[in-house]
Amino acid sequence: MTLRASPTGPKPAPSAAWSAGSVLSVLSIPLAIVALMVLGSIVSPSFLTVRNLVNVLNAYSAVGLAALGSTFVAICGGLADLSIPATVALGALVALGAGSLVGPVPAAFLGILVAALGGLVNGVLIGYVRINPIIVTLASGFLLLGLAQLLVGGGIVYAEPSAFGTFVAGNLFGLPVSVWIFFIVALILHITLTRTPFGRWNFAVGGNYEASAASAVPVRFTRASAFVLTGLLSGMCGILIALSIGQARPIIGAGYEFVAITAVVIGGTSLFGGRGSILRTVGGVIILALINNLIVLIGWPTPATGLATGSILLVVVAIDAYLRRRTGVLG
Amino acid sequence: MSANLRTIGNLVVRYRLLVMLAGVLIFGGFTQDDFLTLTTFQSVLDRAAVVGFLALGLTPILIAGQIDLSIGSVMSLAAYATIALQPSLGSLPAAFVGLGVGALAGAINAVIVVALKVTSLVATLATLLIGASLALLISDGQPVSSADPMFGLSLTNELLTVLSPRSALFIAAALIMFVWLRATPSGRNLYAVGSSMPAAISAGINVNGYMAGIFVLSGLCAGAAGVLQALSAATGSPLAGSALLIPAITAVVIGGTRLEGGRGSSLATLGGVIALGALTTLSEYNGIPSYTQAVYTGLILILLITLDRISGDNGGRKTRTLRRAAVKQVQQHGGTS
Repeated sequence: MTLRASPTGPKPAPSAAWSAGSVLSVLSIPLAIVALMVLGSIVSPSFLTVRNLVNVLNAYSAVGLAALGSTFVAICGGLADLSIPATVALGALVALGAGSLVGPVPAAFLGILVAALGGLVNGVLIGYVRINPIIVTLASGFLLLGLAQLLVGGGIVYAEPSAFGTFVAGNLFGLPVSVWIFFIVALILHITLTRTPFGRWNFAVGGNYEASAASAVPVRFTRASAFVLTGLLSGMCGILIALSIGQARPIIGAGYEFVAITAVVIGGTSLFGGRGSILRTVGGVIILALINNLIVLIGWPTPATGLATGSILLVVVAIDAYLRRRTGVLG
Repeated sequence: MSANLRTIGNLVVRYRLLVMLAGVLIFGGFTQDDFLTLTTFQSVLDRAAVVGFLALGLTPILIAGQIDLSIGSVMSLAAYATIALQPSLGSLPAAFVGLGVGALAGAINAVIVVALKVTSLVATLATLLIGASLALLISDGQPVSSADPMFGLSLTNELLTVLSPRSALFIAAALIMFVWLRATPSGRNLYAVGSSMPAAISAGINVNGYMAGIFVLSGLCAGAAGVLQALSAATGSPLAGSALLIPAITAVVIGGTRLEGGRGSSLATLGGVIALGALTTLSEYNGIPSYTQAVYTGLILILLITLDRISGDNGGRKTRTLRRAAVKQVQQHGGTS
């Protein structure tokens, strides 16, 4: 129980392929989504309309990108990235701030680049220097958010109207562009995680760090890359939000780190590494989006969402810790 | 040459508190005419008391190799309770309720970490979010003004030239904690828990009891920070402690307490709090905006934990050694598998 991210033991081999438990665990996310939909349609007649559901997805597709990156971070045993709000803000501020200088599309790439650089700082400190990820990202988040505020003098940056901005904020084939981006990125990352060596490295490093290092898996590179990826995706998240609301301010991503972590653990990805899936994180994002929508429709104040997110995080992690103890694997 | 540099580097890491204090004093003396005065010292101590209590609570936690990320949120809850309950309970009972809120939140953390066996990092991350949301929910996002603003005003008065009542409380608490950690068996056992938990368990130390105790203590200290802040500002803000987690961790780490556990001292924390407070006061004298303070606080923290990591053990080289050993083994056995 030291603060260093300790390697976990090997995970137990899965038992019979289609036991009752595994069917339940595969179906649990779709079941939860259906249950929330039923609950929603009881609570409010405006819930089960196409417009509302599209809005629900749209509101969470940007932060969903950060959750996709966090899935890699969690699987490779990097716990979580708490600097997400800072990289989201950096991406948004740079993309809008540089828009008038270099044009909107290069500015967007610049924003993603700067956010990825933030992720690189995390990656080097966590992957190569091997400092505890939570402390590193907490400190780097504090630092980068300060830098972001310094950049704009604590104020707001407004977007200049551009064809690119209108496109990103608009619809494509009946769905908002940011929803398309979320699903396309999710698909690419799903293939990366399940079908490429890099994906397998993530599972190996998170499952057993020492054994992976001894088997010539680039353990430090893998862990660092997961954080660079999360920084990059958080930058994209910031740009999507900034372009769709037409402005960016340093607090634009406040609380997103918790949404990302909770979406990841709802999807059954362990924060302690070694198992997880992108598709299930997508499910987690949808569940959180529906819960948020329900809270809004019932008329509870916004902080209730944070309360719900935090409680879900706690319950899911406690169950994970219990199951790991029962199967003899120490978290 | 490089060995010399390494020695100097290690010395700077070890005596960083003195290096930092000297740096602040020299820089302050040059840039501000009236920086090196007792008045400045009194104000630094006074304003450091709030972060100081947070950092004090964190010290035993870090010694035991744990972390409490929820202290900022707990402080906000306590600060709000202290002021919001004044009209119905009276000022003094409300302040005790504020302390109680802190201890209760600490007890909840203790249950989650000890009974539910959730790693303290993740457990207190969740309670950080829950506490912050709860404070905003109860207060409707608005700070309350005290019904009895004169009650807490005396906390920041001058006392014996260099102190104020609240900085005196903080220093007294740091001294009591120092005696506890150094001179009592229970304090020494805590270091054992942080150095090696399996060894501590084998030695018959009630590890769970210590773990629960330090989380309650940390909550209580966060509560004290909230009560002091709220009373002296005569306002209960639901965001009172939201930005103080990093400064508190930084102050503890400046003092030399290590995140890996097993080492640390409350007097070192006292020094770290004073050093960081002096730096904050200096940057305010020079008109540096608050977000710049966030930048350098974050930088100092990252720099120090990196130096601690590099100078402490060569963990970065461990993977290379492992791989080399594995390769050698394969070569020796001819790679037939």
